[in-house]
Order: sequence, then C-alpha cells, then structure tokens
Amino acid sequence: MESFIQEMKRYLGFTEEDAALLRQLGPRMEKYLPELAERFYSQIPHHPNAFRVFSGGEAQIARLKQTLQNWGKRLFCGVYDHAYAEERYQIGYHHVRIGLEQKYVISAMGIVRAFLSECLLLEFPAGDVRLRYARAVSKMLDLDLNLMCESYMHASMQNLRALNEQLERANRDLAEASRSKDEFLAQVSHELRTPLNSILGFTKLILDGLTKTREEERELLRDVFSSAQHLLGLVNDILDIGRIEAGRMAMHMEDVDPRQVLDSTLPLVTIPAHEKGLELRDETRDAQLPRVRADEVRLRQVLLNLLSNAIKFTPAAASGEPAGRISVRAQIVPASTASVAADGHGFLRLEVVDTGVGIQEEKREAVFELFVQGSAGRRHEGTGLGLAISRRLVQIMGGAIGIQSGDAGSGTTVWFTLPLAGEHAGESPAAAKEKLSARARK
Amino acid sequence: MTSAQTDSKTVLIVEDHALVAKFYRMALERGGNFTCVVTEDVPQILAHVAAGRVHVAVLDVSLANAHWQGRLIDGVELAQLMKQSAAAAGRSLPILLATAHAMSGDRENLLAASGADDYLEKPVFEAQMLVDKVRRLLRSA
Repeated sequence: MESFIQEMKRYLGFTEEDAALLRQLGPRMEKYLPELAERFYSQIPHHPNAFRVFSGGEAQIARLKQTLQNWGKRLFCGVYDHAYAEERYQIGYHHVRIGLEQKYVISAMGIVRAFLSECLLLEFPAGDVRLRYARAVSKMLDLDLNLMCESYMHASMQNLRALNEQLERANRDLAEASRSKDEFLAQVSHELRTPLNSILGFTKLILDGLTKTREEERELLRDVFSSAQHLLGLVNDILDIGRIEAGRMAMHMEDVDPRQVLDSTLPLVTIPAHEKGLELRDETRDAQLPRVRADEVRLRQVLLNLLSNAIKFTPAAASGEPAGRISVRAQIVPASTASVAADGHGFLRLEVVDTGVGIQEEKREAVFELFVQGSAGRRHEGTGLGLAISRRLVQIMGGAIGIQSGDAGSGTTVWFTLPLAGEHAGESPAAAKEKLSARARK
Repeated sequence: MTSAQTDSKTVLIVEDHALVAKFYRMALERGGNFTCVVTEDVPQILAHVAAGRVHVAVLDVSLANAHWQGRLIDGVELAQLMKQSAAAAGRSLPILLATAHAMSGDRENLLAASGADDYLEKPVFEAQMLVDKVRRLLRSA
C-alpha cells in the first residue's frame, strides 16, 4: 500500500492529503470494488468522447474489467509492489490501452480521478508522461460518483501546462530577439557598405589616375565628402539605437519650454527648406506654449528629425505649381488619446505637416521600424533610422508618436505628444487648452 | 588601361544609389573602355536585353525603383526576368550581382536564387577588379 502511494505521488502528483484519504479508504474499498467497477464500465462507453478509446467494443471493456478487478484485488491483498508499478507505467508510456487501465487502478482505490470525462481524451502518444495527463480534469469522486472536490492532480497538471507555455513563449521570444539582432546586424552592414562604396571607389579612381581634370577630381571629392557625412550620421544613429535598445539612453527629464526648442531648431532647417523653395511656417509662433516634461536635447533631435524628413519628402518647387509647405502646429490634448501610459495629465501635441509625397497606407506603421523609408520612388538620402529613433525617444519621454497621410502626393503629418510639465499637469486639458488659445489670440 | 578592348561592349548598370552607379560607370568606362547604360526602368532594361543592346549587366540586389507589373521587385527577381528575356531572344546575358548583402550565406543564396553568374560584395572600389570581372563574364558568355 505505502509503495503504491509513493508511486501515485511520484507519477500523478498525489498530495499528502490524497495519500491520507487512500490509506483511510483502502480497506473499505475492497468490499465495494466489484459494484464500483460495474458502474464505471456502464458509464464510460456512453461518454460522448468514449468512442475514441473504446474502439475495441465489448471485448475490450470486458478485458478492462477483468484487469481492473485483478489489479484491485492484488492491491488490497497487499500484492502490489514497486516492480509492478514500474512495469505498468513503463508500458503505459507507449500504449493507449494500458494507459487507460492505469486510470482504473486508481479508480479501484476509491479515489476516482477524472477518467469519466477528460481522461478519455488523453493523447497518449505524446513523449512525456506528464504531458499525457495535461488535459485531464481530475476530480475526486465519492463511492456514488458524486464530486467531492477537484483534486490536486488537476491543478498540478495545469501548472505544468502553464509552465510549459511560459517556457515555450520565452523560447520563442529569445529566438525572435536573436533573429532580429541578426537582421539588424545584416542591415547595418548593408547600410554602411553603400556610402563606403562611394568613399573608397572615388578616392581609388583618383589615386589610380583615372580622372581627367582637376575639376572632375573636385567633383568626386565632394561626393566622397557627402558620403562620409552620411556615414557619420549613420554611425551616430546606430549608436543611438544601440543605447536605446540596451536601455542605456540617459535622459535628463526637466520642464522644457517648447517655444525655446522650436525657436532654436527651426533656423537649422530654414536654409535646406528655402534651397528647395519650400515655405516653412511656424503656426505656433503666436501661442504661448505650455511647458512639457522632456529631455531638451532629445526633444530637439526628434523635432529636427521630423522637420528634415518633411523637407526631404516634399518635392522642390516647380514652375507653375504652388510651392510646397512645411508647417509646425501645436495643440493640447487630453491624456486618454495621447498615450496609454499616463493618467489624468494633459499632453502637448506637436505636428509637423508637409505637402510632400505622402506615405502609402501599408507603410505608415513600417516607417517607424529600422531602416525603412516610406516613400515610393527615388531612394532618398538618409539612414532610415530617424523615425525609429524618434519613436523610441518620444516613448521614453512618456509621449506617443504617429503619422497621418492621405494618398500619394497629398502630404504627411507626423505628430508626437509630450506630457505637460508640473504647473499644467494637474489641470484639465480643457483648461490648459483654453489658456493656450487665449494666449494665442493675444 | 593595359588591355584596351578592340570593340566596345555595353554594360548595363542597375543600381539605385546614384553615387555607386556613378562609380561603376566611371570605373568601367575609364578602366575598361566599356560603354555604360544606367537605368532602373524594368521595361526599358528588358527591351535592351532582348534587343541585344547590352552585353553584360552589373546588378544591385536591393532596388528602390524597379517596378514590374505594379509592384517593386528586387535584383534577384530582375535577374530572372533578364535571363528569361535574353533566352527568349536567343541571346545570353551574363549578370554580375553587386550587393551590400555580405553576411555569410548571402553569396550562395543570392546566386542560386537569381541565376546570376557572378557576385561582388560591396564596397566595390577597385576599378580594375570590376573591369576584370566583367571581361571574364563576357568571355565566358
């Protein structure tokens, strides 16, 4: 008896409580055994799922009945021993029928575990014996088949399954992380090689004496210079991405005046915008913007990124067509639509609106990924990292970023939000908004 | 250069980075006395190939502007189309894949997938090496 209980503990997760019950019920069970067995056999074949197992018909049931009675008698006569358990369980790994019989032995002990329902669905060919029981709903029934309680085995199997799923998920995540790391490396390698091609190629042409005039050499050197600048930008962006991904991007969060940031950032893009004949319009100029919580340097970086993109993807002015326009707008929005992270606080939403080439709908989310450019057509200068970095920076600062674009050619709006700084944080967005527009009207 | 070609062969350059295309052109024209055609326009490329106006191609794998039947295609697919187009016209067109995809396995995978004849890893900066590769392809064709 004791060795049997040990086996039950080992293989089926019996608790000490279960064991105690077994010890208590054991002697009484011998008497009820034939009646109990009869009851089970008459019920099992009528179970909706039973046909899967009882394909052997009456003969199989009869055999099961015989086996059970033999086993039960041996158990209660003290014949049961360790070797017997070993044998059964080992055979049970491979054989459906034996597996079922196993359940009957338990039932014969009066601790009836779930075989009336889910046990019949067990998929025994699975490799691991514990997994075979994973689907069992294990219930403890009394001698009249009334449910006494859910047994430990049920919980234990669920835990195993949950644990297994957890492990599988962790495994998948790891594989995914490793794969995206490989992809990132491949992309970095790809992106670095392209400007290097121009730098090395043109210098080698000059060194090989394959150029014809001084002027041609100067032209190639300018190409080398711009490629090297591009390379530098790429290296800086990759370092940023690396820092962000490693969680080592040091942010100095403080109350920042967006007015000041705009006033110091917009002049940086005035020349490139005007070179393309684009109008640069600061529609926030007359508004007194509320202060926000941000890292000023990173906020400037995000703004510059968005402005540079807008200029890059808005075609230069052509004769007979209206000049392209880049506008900066601001508004105050309530927390709920700006970010899921914050609660109760308002946000300042800044928008960079252009009249450029637009982004195809299917690419609107992808542009925030690494090395992706949204526009069709000519490959544009740039690393394809700007928006990816911007998104991560904005998220670290507690805001959100997004993109709106109509069909091709109808322009793009990139917006981002930042939480309002302390003085506005407590008041309702409506009140702050009122203040903003009141100031704007002045 | 040392061995000037007697008759000037035409090299088709398909490359979406303008500066890289410019380097190929200069290297092949100056270093190998080739004539070059630079384009990413797929119908035009296939017409050149079918008409035998180009004799060998230097082809990038990542293409930003190669449209075919309403979608963007890459150099692997373009190489297949060019091979088909050449075969249909009873010609052979050797193709040199030049790409910045330089991770291990890329060479074998890209050559197998595209049907191209040879492979160069960017950065390609030795004019003479590029010229030699193209000449070897022309001889084997």
